[in-house]
Amino acid sequence: MSDHEPVVVIDQLTKSYGEFTAVDNVSLTLDRGRILGFIGPNGAGKTTTIKILVGLAKPTSGSASIAGADCVRDARRIKRLVGYMPDTFGSYDNMRVREYLDFFGAAFGIPRKPRLARIAEVMETTNSTYMQDRYVETLSHGMKQRVGIARTLLHDPDVLVFDEPANGLDPEARIEMRELLLRLAEMGKTLIVTSHILPELSRICDQVAIIHQGKLMAFGMLDDILRQLDQHRMIEVQLASTEAMEQAVTLLRESLQAGTEINTSLAEATIRFRTALDETALSQVLAKLVQAGVLVTQFRELQTDLEDAFMTVTRRGESQQATSEAVPVVSNEEETSS
Amino acid sequence: MIFNPIIQRELIGMLRTRKAMLVQVLLVLMFAALVIFRWPSDPTVDLAGNKSQEVFRLFGYGLLTAIIVLVPVFPASSIVREKIRGTLQLLFNSPMSPTSIYAGKTAAVMIFVLLLLALSFPAGAACYVMGGISLVGDVMVLYCLLALVALQFTSLGFLVSSYSSSIDGAIRATYALVMVLTVVTLGPYLVLQGHESFLTDVAEWCRCISPLTAVMEVLGHGDVGSQGLLSVGGTPLRYVILAILSVLICSRWTIGRLNLKIFDRARSAGRITDDLSAEEQLTRSAVWLIDPQRRKAGIGPLSNPVMVKEFRSRRFGRAHWMFRIIFFNILLSVLLIHAILQSATVWKPETLGTYLVLWQIALILLITPSLAAGLISSERESGGWQLLLMTPLSPLRIVVGKLLSVVVTILLVVVATLPAYIMMWQVKPIMLPQIQRVLWCLLFTEIFALAVTFAFSSVFRRTTTATAFSFGSLIMVCIGTLAVWLGRDGPFGQEVVENVLKVNPLATALAAIDAPGFQQYELLPANWYIMGIASAAAFLVLSVQTWRLTRPQ
Repeated sequence: MSDHEPVVVIDQLTKSYGEFTAVDNVSLTLDRGRILGFIGPNGAGKTTTIKILVGLAKPTSGSASIAGADCVRDARRIKRLVGYMPDTFGSYDNMRVREYLDFFGAAFGIPRKPRLARIAEVMETTNSTYMQDRYVETLSHGMKQRVGIARTLLHDPDVLVFDEPANGLDPEARIEMRELLLRLAEMGKTLIVTSHILPELSRICDQVAIIHQGKLMAFGMLDDILRQLDQHRMIEVQLASTEAMEQAVTLLRESLQAGTEINTSLAEATIRFRTALDETALSQVLAKLVQAGVLVTQFRELQTDLEDAFMTVTRRGESQQATSEAVPVVSNEEETSS
Repeated sequence: MIFNPIIQRELIGMLRTRKAMLVQVLLVLMFAALVIFRWPSDPTVDLAGNKSQEVFRLFGYGLLTAIIVLVPVFPASSIVREKIRGTLQLLFNSPMSPTSIYAGKTAAVMIFVLLLLALSFPAGAACYVMGGISLVGDVMVLYCLLALVALQFTSLGFLVSSYSSSIDGAIRATYALVMVLTVVTLGPYLVLQGHESFLTDVAEWCRCISPLTAVMEVLGHGDVGSQGLLSVGGTPLRYVILAILSVLICSRWTIGRLNLKIFDRARSAGRITDDLSAEEQLTRSAVWLIDPQRRKAGIGPLSNPVMVKEFRSRRFGRAHWMFRIIFFNILLSVLLIHAILQSATVWKPETLGTYLVLWQIALILLITPSLAAGLISSERESGGWQLLLMTPLSPLRIVVGKLLSVVVTILLVVVATLPAYIMMWQVKPIMLPQIQRVLWCLLFTEIFALAVTFAFSSVFRRTTTATAFSFGSLIMVCIGTLAVWLGRDGPFGQEVVENVLKVNPLATALAAIDAPGFQQYELLPANWYIMGIASAAAFLVLSVQTWRLTRPQ
């Protein structure tokens, strides 16, 4: 299988619980060895999508497959292909780490001798060998996450699905987790990672899917999404003092498109707005401010990061939901739509 | 005191639950039915008030059973739940003292209990109206005694809860201790009565710890298990003294534990024998025989991994604990053999058989729910169920592994008590058919207990609820129905008692061994059919639930 062959294919996936639609017509694909950051606010439908993907939930319509195995029809094959770490650890009392991994290795039918070797290997990979004799319930959160990842690696799956792996970790543990995830990607694993800690994701993810209220709002390579969002770039105007703030806001309202959200910070004497105006139009806006006697010390474009992208997309989703259907931002490089 | 915020929070919290509503409705229905069905329809007046006393006895035993079954679950889960949720820490950081926290919790449970007792007032009043019983000497004394029983169990439950690390563990331990207090304390006196010795005096006081003796005397039922020997009266007074003493001790002890030290729990550093020196390893092997700190070999190819996991993750499932439990049971069995051989003329094999049956059924009733109530519910609570579903293990293999983990444990424990039967058979070969029937009864009891508990474990999401329902239903079937047996001389006739006892595996086993008081009932094979059908129904529920839980949502 080549590196650019899609391993994970989700096609028009919908999951409803009665009247409530948890996942609404979501489609995406993921190539081998890639890391997908799956983000969205609480209750957006991330975990439901993941559960369908790993065979724990059934879609209402649409399909999902991993390495050609349908997530519903080939549930047994999916278990071998996927390593899933849910957001809850699933520990057992009075069990040492080695015994815990031994149980899951045996459950996957790995014969005893290779199983013991495999346990040593995954503990080495996840840097958890030193805790092999500790009781699972006494481990810290960060340690448990590493043991959880070791557990998902036991049967050497192609795809790893981690639900909030960095949740509750201290900064040092987060860095370790990030390095571990990158190491797994280097090993050729395909990773789907959900997280609320967006700066972490932006550092490791090749692709990003933003889901909001069950709908896929944005999907593609991180840079592509940011570039698309940059069509509505964030401009910051720094004033010399707050005295002319009101005047500046009035002038901006006149110059910008109707409905443009303008945020002010009196403490910093700054005004921020998001706009689709081009360079020429923006220079005219600046000229208008200067001509009106507003002392502008800086007029610059702010770099958009994943956090901004997430906020923009989800806000846009909310406002468009109020009026009409949301329009998703999908990278041109990906043949997907929703 | 009444402004103690804990009372309001706990009481309102308790009363808001569907469980509390169900309990209240059931109690009202039960007492209403008692009065409706037993209200005298005979136009002749019973001057001695025998009929009314019969109803009153039944009423009293019903209330006692309700308290034994319902009360322990509330205090047992109270402190440990707060500890797990982190709200206990918040309480410690408030200006409330440990005493006021404890007093608030106790008052909340007791107000709830008094509310339950109040629901029985109309039935109690009806008994009084029937005549033949005194308002102060009978009704009031019974209610005061029952309130004290509730207080005793409450203080015990809180103490256990303060030491527990899981809610279901606290409930298990509390029910086990309640059973010990109520039933096991009667044992020494049953064996030693009739002898003049210091030990007999101790045993006599020991049986007064049980509320059963006091309630029986108040209800005019004499003494439990006295075998016709005259026992010293005044058991209610002795019970009151011992109960107040135990309440004071448990309360003081629990209050002493209500501070931040309650959260101190040493984390295991993962010490392992394999890393010790050769001498240390040898010493540990000699002491432990099976060293619990030795690194385990991987799960074998023929073992069901779920079964091995259950043994390893269970506090008493490790081999060294299993050996201890089995050794204790063998020891007990040997002691019984010794008793048979030494005093064959004084102790009839049937009498010893009775104790043996009681001991074995008690083991089954205590151990089975403890082991099986969390088999599925605890997995769902901890998130382990999802992980199990992500493995290629089939639902059947998961369920069989879990079943085996309980069956093997119970079999080992019960088999360890069997040598006494062999000796009984040697002493009195004619008893062989009885012994065989008892063994079948034990088997059916175990299957029934396991099926019901496992079914509850699959139905309820929380282990606490599954544990409480399992203990509650088994106690109702095995002990609750004995309330009817206690009314065998009236108001119930032979036929009614026999029909009710047919659902009771304990009574059936006792009848099979010809235990005193049970010889006249023909409970076999009806009980086996009932147990078989009930177990099949429970296994059906388990199968449907397992199917539901293992398919994609």
